[in-house]
Amino acid sequence: MSVALDAALGVAAVGGMLAVGSLALAFADEAAAAAVAGAPLRPRRLLVAPFRRAASALLTATTTTERPDGGGRALAPALLAGLAALAMSMLPLAPGVVPADPSTGFVVFSAAVAFVMIAVFLHGWSPNSTLPLHGAYRFGAVALSFQIPFLLAMLATALPAQSLSLVRIVEAQAPLWNVIREPLGLPIYLIVGLAVGLWGPLNLPDADDLAGGTSAEDSGLARWLWEAARTSMLVAVAALGSAAFLGGYLGPLLPGPVWVALKTALLLAVMAVARHALARARIERFVEVAWVLLVPLALLNVFVSGAFLL
Amino acid sequence: MSDLPVSLAFAAFSAVAVVAGIRVFRTDSMVRAAFYLLASFAAVGAIMVLLGAEFLGMVLILMMAGEMLVMAIVMVMYMMNPAGLNPMVMVHQHRTAIAAGAVAFLALAGVGLAGGVPQRPVTNPGAATGDLGRELLGNSMLVFQTAGVTLLGTMVGAIAIAAPRGRFGDADADSQEPALQPDEEPEA
Amino acid sequence: MTTETVIVVGAALFGIGVYGALSQQSFVMLMMGIELMINGALLVLVAMWSRAAGGSPDGQMLAVVFMTVMAVEMSLGFALITSAYRVKRADITEKLRKLKG
Repeated sequence: MSVALDAALGVAAVGGMLAVGSLALAFADEAAAAAVAGAPLRPRRLLVAPFRRAASALLTATTTTERPDGGGRALAPALLAGLAALAMSMLPLAPGVVPADPSTGFVVFSAAVAFVMIAVFLHGWSPNSTLPLHGAYRFGAVALSFQIPFLLAMLATALPAQSLSLVRIVEAQAPLWNVIREPLGLPIYLIVGLAVGLWGPLNLPDADDLAGGTSAEDSGLARWLWEAARTSMLVAVAALGSAAFLGGYLGPLLPGPVWVALKTALLLAVMAVARHALARARIERFVEVAWVLLVPLALLNVFVSGAFLL
Repeated sequence: MSDLPVSLAFAAFSAVAVVAGIRVFRTDSMVRAAFYLLASFAAVGAIMVLLGAEFLGMVLILMMAGEMLVMAIVMVMYMMNPAGLNPMVMVHQHRTAIAAGAVAFLALAGVGLAGGVPQRPVTNPGAATGDLGRELLGNSMLVFQTAGVTLLGTMVGAIAIAAPRGRFGDADADSQEPALQPDEEPEA
Repeated sequence: MTTETVIVVGAALFGIGVYGALSQQSFVMLMMGIELMINGALLVLVAMWSRAAGGSPDGQMLAVVFMTVMAVEMSLGFALITSAYRVKRADITEKLRKLKG
């Protein structure tokens, strides 16, 4: 009985965190858009905007395509949201408080990020339509390029902890946060995070020049669900980034969960600003930068982080 | 962990692994085949986690996600009808293959069921990840390094094989579609 | 979940892989068959480590070597597919006639 109760509580907590984080990201996004455009900030409109979008999605008819892969179309948003929940469930909230602590948390998170490419590819392939398929192949190129820098950036955080468990990775940052110990890690992680969340400058697979890319054929509820799943993934990436690089729940005065929320909000704000302040990267440029620049930098980061342990 | 949930999970994952494995060769689209193969691999990874090899299972799942995407890209580059949903039967020596598969299955399953497997289960499943780490960088470091050098050699070799230009000029110079019938002229 | 049942599952995956590797014309599908064979072998290996070797770390080490083999097989396979396509415009085994005895 208590096992079932614990499981239900954990699921509710993870879902709640993702929902609150997604809402916060939506607000930050609106605010950043207004700020970059130089428009006055209208708080009432800003607070209503996400709900207005959801309501309009619910009222729009869902379209279908000719001979789609129905199962794949239904599975893709669910898979992406599930991966976000899987990653979020390993977020340490306070000393000893974590929904799940597998001894291989690092690998589980990396596998979740690797499966994002399957979810996005499935989402682009299943409508049996040209533009979404183009988006899917774009994400293939992007995802295969960011995998290695991402793994190396995360690997460097596991070195000082001498463990693959995310709880231990946070604990090991008590003397010094990873963002200071390995300053290259967080920027690389954030660049990859933008790509994983199909967000802002790296929103190539769902870009406007492909009429929405992998979601070009989605409308109404289906489109909203996909966007919600994407946002959840971004929130999970920000939350785990705050745990891996910004010390998670560590911090003076305030209780642990508040620090987790503040640090996650900070990373989400950075992402929201990046979306509106930075130009979209060209895909071949990103692939080149990832292999030629990010991989060596990430390797250097691992070496520096290892040198601290000598 | 009690036995019943583990047994149920094992049964479910085994069913997914085998059924998805069969579906790989019983579907019309290569992309679908790749997804089924990934499902099969993910289920095997989950069984490995159930067996206590948490790290190996998760790494298998991680590896296969990337591999499936590479497969998808290779299909787009070279194969006919890559993402298509049209019917596709591309098999040869079908009966022989079925017989060989069945013989392989029966023989191996027979060996497994014949018994003689010692019963020495893992004593401390929680320590498997740490054990592997110490083994990799301890007693088996040479093996680990050899694997790394092998992969490096593979990378160099794969690039050399696939390079568009070699010392004798372009790799695809004068290449043409071969004829499907023995005495035909090649297609232009 | 006994050692025997895991071995049967692994044997089934191996058998399916044998069928795929022998019957498929397309290079990629053929490689999927080989992958399934390695997959079945890996599963049995881990089962042996877990149930018959008392959790000795050497077993996991062997599985890591197996995964290396898998990666080597994949990358060289894809490189050969690329090469075969460049030279012969071949995407199925039937188009490589010179290899036929």
